[in-house]
Amino acid sequence: DEDVQVRQKVVEVDPQEEADFDKELRALMQESLDSRKLELRGRPALNMTIPMNVFEGSKDHHGRVVEGESGDETMDEEGSGGNKVCVKVLVKKGNKQQTKQMYIPQDCSLVQSTKQKEAAELEE
Amino acid sequence: EEPVEDENYEYGKGSFTEHACRYCGVQNPACVVRCNVPSCRKWFCNSRGNTSGSHIVNHLVRAKHKEVCLHKDSPLGETILECYNCGCRNVFLLGFISAKTESVVVLLCREPCLSVNALKDMNWDLSQWCPLIDDRCFLQWLVKIPSEQEQLRARQISAQQINKVEELWKTNPDASLEDLEKPGVDDEPQPVALKYEDAYQYQNVFAPLIKLEADYDKTMKESQSKDNVTIRWDIGLNKKRIAYFVFPKEDNELRLVPGDELRLRYSGDATHPAWQSVGHVIKLTAQEEVALELRASQGVPVDVNHGFSVDFVWKSTSFDRMQGAMKTFAVDETSVSGYIYHHLLGHEVEGQVVRNTLPRRFGAPGLPELNASQVFAVKSVLQKPISLIQGPPGTGKTVTSAAIVYHMAKQGQGQVLVCAPSNVAVDQLAEKISATGLKVVRLCAKSREAVISPVEHLTLHYQVRHLDTSEKSELHKLQQLKDEQGELSSSDEKKYKALKRATEREISQSADVICCTCVGAGDPRLSNFRFRQVLIDESTQATEPECLIPLVLGVKQVVLVGDHCQLGPVIMCKKAARAGLAQSLFERLVLLGVKPFRLQVQYRMHPCLSEFPSNSFYEGTLQNGVTINERQSTGIDFPWPVPNRPMFFYVQMGQEEISASGTSYLNRTEAANVEKIVTTFLRSGVIPSQIGVITPYEGQRAYIVNYMSRNGALRQQLYKEIEVASVDSFQGREKDYIILSCVRSNEHQGIGFLNDPRRLNVALTRARYGIVMLGNPKVLSKQPLWNSLLTHYKENECLVEGPLNNLKQSMVQFQKPKKIYN
Ligand SMILES: [Zn+2]
Ligand SMILES: [Zn+2]
Ligand SMILES: [Zn+2]
Repeated sequence: DEDVQVRQKVVEVDPQEEADFDKELRALMQESLDSRKLELRGRPALNMTIPMNVFEGSKDHHGRVVEGESGDETMDEEGSGGNKVCVKVLVKKGNKQQTKQMYIPQDCSLVQSTKQKEAAELEE
Repeated sequence: EEPVEDENYEYGKGSFTEHACRYCGVQNPACVVRCNVPSCRKWFCNSRGNTSGSHIVNHLVRAKHKEVCLHKDSPLGETILECYNCGCRNVFLLGFISAKTESVVVLLCREPCLSVNALKDMNWDLSQWCPLIDDRCFLQWLVKIPSEQEQLRARQISAQQINKVEELWKTNPDASLEDLEKPGVDDEPQPVALKYEDAYQYQNVFAPLIKLEADYDKTMKESQSKDNVTIRWDIGLNKKRIAYFVFPKEDNELRLVPGDELRLRYSGDATHPAWQSVGHVIKLTAQEEVALELRASQGVPVDVNHGFSVDFVWKSTSFDRMQGAMKTFAVDETSVSGYIYHHLLGHEVEGQVVRNTLPRRFGAPGLPELNASQVFAVKSVLQKPISLIQGPPGTGKTVTSAAIVYHMAKQGQGQVLVCAPSNVAVDQLAEKISATGLKVVRLCAKSREAVISPVEHLTLHYQVRHLDTSEKSELHKLQQLKDEQGELSSSDEKKYKALKRATEREISQSADVICCTCVGAGDPRLSNFRFRQVLIDESTQATEPECLIPLVLGVKQVVLVGDHCQLGPVIMCKKAARAGLAQSLFERLVLLGVKPFRLQVQYRMHPCLSEFPSNSFYEGTLQNGVTINERQSTGIDFPWPVPNRPMFFYVQMGQEEISASGTSYLNRTEAANVEKIVTTFLRSGVIPSQIGVITPYEGQRAYIVNYMSRNGALRQQLYKEIEVASVDSFQGREKDYIILSCVRSNEHQGIGFLNDPRRLNVALTRARYGIVMLGNPKVLSKQPLWNSLLTHYKENECLVEGPLNNLKQSMVQFQKPKKIYN
């Protein structure tokens, strides 16, 4: 029930700080990539099958668009209208596969491609 | 010795949760992740704050850590982020891919898993790998960015601070940001500011000042042991032992107040074993006698009267509560509303109107009618989330406050909390509020329950004892048993405590208004209470952290009442005072541009007495609500130099002396003349309770008391009944006649206590009917304000000298006032 309007000074990030940080971040990325290339010569075994239970009932969630969650929790920096898509995230807990539901913005590249594929499939 | 319950209570609610961002304090589980490096395991949020990367990314980069884990209450639950295929946990390599046809996504590492061609054939779309860290921030739909409100309320950490603290963590992983700013032992503390970035910075400034004051207070009080004390024994109505004894004091030294804890010791003799007991001061008599109610009732050597020792038992409670309130203010988002949070820190906030239906009339039942400026104040504060009311002397602050509380309570927003720094002020306010018909509970410190109060029937402990319902009979039975036997069996004691606590809660919850001191608002008995509306009276006499205690219980609307032109809080530690601890929150808000509503009609002083204070301290705005006729001392034959002008400055040339203790001053001729003036008043029909003698020095106070009772021309008892006290202890009170002895009279030194304009204002505004001042104009006129006061008296032909029965206008020359440099 509270609405505060704080007139905040615009925070200006020091360009030098930004540049230094960027450099360090890139270095860390590169170093990570390089180390993996050295470590793993051979191809890793594939263990990427999608468990059957994920498909069951998945139509329910299929591309379902929900309104942005109300109020404070939504942070749409890009101002993308707030529409979200429900996806299942597949994770491994030890050797067990688990799925968790999560909402991601409709215009995220991840779901864009799925939607295009769906559209294409529908046409066929 | 039974410990007071308070001691086990930890102050500072909403303590830092473990998963709060170590940079900024944000603790929303959806917004934070934990660094998964075993030696680190710190939590960080996904907001950028004042830096280019988000806090978690900042940490990972600076510390070169690469693994994270989500919070258990986040959408994915407690999950270490890793490649679904190979288990790689390096977040700089991870990204999401989705299945070709289904809305299924997994994390996959960029090297090597993303480049395995076989995956393409397996229903996965590798063309849209979506990196976990994008634009120096975690994917926002995985780890949320805290809302703007959350970010504004968080600690405003800079990139430099981040670098410093990361550097510090390399050698000391448990270091906090506060460790970066800790001053060395001998450094001057950081001074108070007008504005603060956030509540953490606020705490960083005030916590060391409160610590300094607490340390000073402790050292001073604990060094106050007195030996060879003579005791007079008595028994109280509650059958407890009371020891009476004299405990002398000096300027700036220990001022005992009811509720203080003292230890009484006897080292033993041939017929008595060594003995000691602690007790609470329940009373201080005008003769400096202390009444101490002992905790122990057994084994007290009541047949001995001499050779006792007294020590002060120092308690950190009030300081703990201030520190706790500052911590709560910082870490608990619900402690005060966002508007109040930002406003108190001096951030620019868009004005907010409190939408309440206003009452048709602004007075309240049981109270006098309000005047125009009082009505305006009541009406205005009801519509604002933060307001200040300035109440110059005698302008009806208490009535106005009571009317505000009455209307707040009628708005149905829950219980109203009413506080003031002093117990006297709380009692006065409780009484007035109760007169409006509201249900009032006056919460007293446990140590003060035996202290006589004018509003005893409103106190919680009284109401608990007198709650007359059958369900409480068990409590009553146990109470009786405890009173008779002095103690209960441990099982009965347990039962008694539980019943008592439940009854206390029940009574407190059914009240419309809770009244207590500011420090009392931190009482554990209120820890589960929430107050949206808080009024603090005398707020200009409280330090900021003290004022904060009643506010952090969920306040959304606050009214601070006070007068920054009168004396502020007493700070004993010079270092802390220099750093600005003596500046009240009220004053800082005034400096920030909050305009106080000023009550403008005074009902105390004879119009002649209000003229100078009005012009010098209130820009001439103080109007008189009393006429000259209403303040005429009919039948009192006193030699006022100008009839109808009941005031004069009595020129004194006697020397000042250092008092016997070496720490204070006295002035014998002034004291002798004070006695003559008092005697003249008494002879003319004034009674002792109408007279107050004010002097800024303890040495002079003691000397006058002594001198009058030895040399007074009338019955000794009459002089004993006259209150002689410091300016400070007269604040908030009034007398019909005031005699002010200035004491200081020297060629080259300053005028000490008299230099503070606010102290002069208080001294000049205590009298209703008449005032007599004694002092040396030659010395006092050096100070600009005193110079204009003396000029005012001279112009009114009230600057006089000679014997009291033949006063003549004085021709004494004033000195040029020194320029003011502030
Ligand atoms: Zn780490
Ligand atoms: Zn953070
Ligand atoms: Zn992998």
